[in-house]
Amino acid sequence: MSGIPQALDAIPVLGILFQLLGYLVANIEFMSHTTVAVAIPITLAALCGVMCERSGVVNIGLEGIMLTAAFVGWIAGVVAVGILGPGTQLPVFGITVPLLIALVAALLAGMLVSLLHAWLAISLRVDQIISGTIINIGAAGITGYVYSLMASKSAVGAGSFTTYRVPSGVADFPIVGWLINAVLSQGPIGIITILVVIVLQIMLFRSRWGLRTRAVGEHPRAAETVGIDVIRLRYRNVVMSGALAALGGAWLSMEQTNKFDTNMTAGRGFIGLAAMIVGRWTPLGAFGAALLFASATALSTSLQISPPQGDLGALMGRVPGEFWEALPYIITIVILAGLIGRSIAPAADGQPYERESAT
Amino acid sequence: MTGNVRTVFGLLATAALVAACSSSGASTAPSAGSTLKIGVVTDVGKVDDKNFNQYSYEGAQKAAADLGATVQYVVPKDASDYAKDIQGFVDQKFNIIVTVGFALGTDTIKAAKANPDVWFLAVDVAPCVDEAGAPDGTFACKGDASKLLPKLIGITFQEDQAGYLAGIVSAAVSKTGKIGQIGAINNNPAVVRYLQGFQLGAKSYNPNVTVETAFFSTGDPNKAYADPVWGKTFSTQFIDQKGVDVLFQVAGGTGNGALDAACEKNILAIGVDVDQYNSYTTADKCIVTSAEKHLSSAVNQTIKAISGSTAKGGVSTFNAKNDGVGYSPFHNTSIPIPAGVQAKLDAAVAGMKDGSLKTCPDKCGTWTQP
Repeated sequence: MSGIPQALDAIPVLGILFQLLGYLVANIEFMSHTTVAVAIPITLAALCGVMCERSGVVNIGLEGIMLTAAFVGWIAGVVAVGILGPGTQLPVFGITVPLLIALVAALLAGMLVSLLHAWLAISLRVDQIISGTIINIGAAGITGYVYSLMASKSAVGAGSFTTYRVPSGVADFPIVGWLINAVLSQGPIGIITILVVIVLQIMLFRSRWGLRTRAVGEHPRAAETVGIDVIRLRYRNVVMSGALAALGGAWLSMEQTNKFDTNMTAGRGFIGLAAMIVGRWTPLGAFGAALLFASATALSTSLQISPPQGDLGALMGRVPGEFWEALPYIITIVILAGLIGRSIAPAADGQPYERESAT
Repeated sequence: MTGNVRTVFGLLATAALVAACSSSGASTAPSAGSTLKIGVVTDVGKVDDKNFNQYSYEGAQKAAADLGATVQYVVPKDASDYAKDIQGFVDQKFNIIVTVGFALGTDTIKAAKANPDVWFLAVDVAPCVDEAGAPDGTFACKGDASKLLPKLIGITFQEDQAGYLAGIVSAAVSKTGKIGQIGAINNNPAVVRYLQGFQLGAKSYNPNVTVETAFFSTGDPNKAYADPVWGKTFSTQFIDQKGVDVLFQVAGGTGNGALDAACEKNILAIGVDVDQYNSYTTADKCIVTSAEKHLSSAVNQTIKAISGSTAKGGVSTFNAKNDGVGYSPFHNTSIPIPAGVQAKLDAAVAGMKDGSLKTCPDKCGTWTQP
């Protein structure tokens, strides 16, 4: 390992740790971009979950909302390009008119699916797990079917947002530069995600809306007695939160790639659900959990692309590659298991609310 | 709370089971008086996909036109329709049934066992059967498919030759002398043959070139073949970490994400299986060429061999000798191809044809970490 004296590496056990440290230092620059990229859709899904569950509605339909939004955004792009033509690109992020139309359509689609969930969960008081499952299965089936119908036509979508190129002087600056690069080299949705995390964290714990939301999620009866319209607030929050998961879907089909693909969410919404729980139903916590999962993914990717040399490499070589690939999931499960009992969901989470007068 | 977590992971399993549906369609070409009837069962998707489905069907069409035969195709709605759609052609007394792609392999073998009088052409499948001639899911392949199922022909390709040619082009267009290749998974022999050929081809052009290799997954087929988002993320890190300026990918849908990553990182990319400059147009500005399987030619030749009674059951391998593999034309004029590359490619193809050129190491198809 360059930069670390050979003598340190030679010490038994501790030497391996020094080598590991050396490997991480040498490769963290490359892992940072992957970490942020993997974390973005998971974070957005988790934020949707936080907003719903903080107001007392369990939403396991995150995956379905994302998938629907990814699909509708792509279709809207195809239609917009068909009517308006591809449009001229703005100098930043490759923004075009059809692309913006596609993004708005994706957000509306996500909110619409969330409205369905809200109606089932809040008004009809259907089991919220069932409602979410319907959304997940329905979204996979419907988008997959319509996509295959579309596939027989040569559909041209609106393309994708492009990334911002950080000047190499900044990007190469150790640690700070890498971090700036990891964030700014994402596209606009990626950057917005990080802003949303911060804004939502402040809103949830420092604003009137946040206090009311939490009250409705913890003790709706008490909230109602002080004049909060529980049903209305839950509706509003669930529908608004749909836009967050939808942004995650838009990221998949309009930023990271430029077209929809069957079942392209590939479980990211479910990992988001886990991130929400690990993050204890707070936006910052959920973001942290997503980053933890993502950094484990980036590390396993790095070990695959560029295996360490020396004793460390020999040691790691004895562990099957499948283990490193499963590492992010193992970490998530271990933390989830460790948190059970200590990570407490909002008290009224998943319980339909009935007005006093209605009973 | 505990219930919530349990539900979450229960549903993860449910999500994995949810498969998307696809559409189907069929059309008939005019019959020309011959009794030969050729049926093509494509994979899900569409018939004009500029990919496996289209080129396999085109091969059948060409053969049918030359032989005066009838040709029909069907696009299965989803994987559960493969068997039904194959049976449809059997019931209508078709003589030759072409099934397109690895995914249809098992159902094709079953149909061949049940209908010993019908010729079956399984594109991109090396039939693996047990002693009774049934599909062998364990891949022990104890039975001799060519004897047990004498009318089943598995069309396979010598991917290492296509990879070799792509390797020559990659080494030639690389400015840094560092090129990369990413495969779907390291236990798929076809994927590995591409990569092994690519490595040797690149070294043959420039012995000092460095070829970096990685795989999208060690065991998750979804990440390996069907997750373009993962493909792009992984490839972006690969390009950054290894500093390559040409990227070859052998990974289906995940590989498309690699093509996107290459474009975004302003490096060159090499397509795979079909001419991806045409089939994956969003990345056409960075695709130099593609390592191709000539599906149309292979299907056409095999059908003609059946009609001329020279066909034998078992595996039929297509390579440079019988125009089975090759590289795509250099469509993209903005990517300069150094002088002399064409001569090297021609020489390599000639060497493959006369058997003097070795395009794969001794353990061809088995990946060993260098």
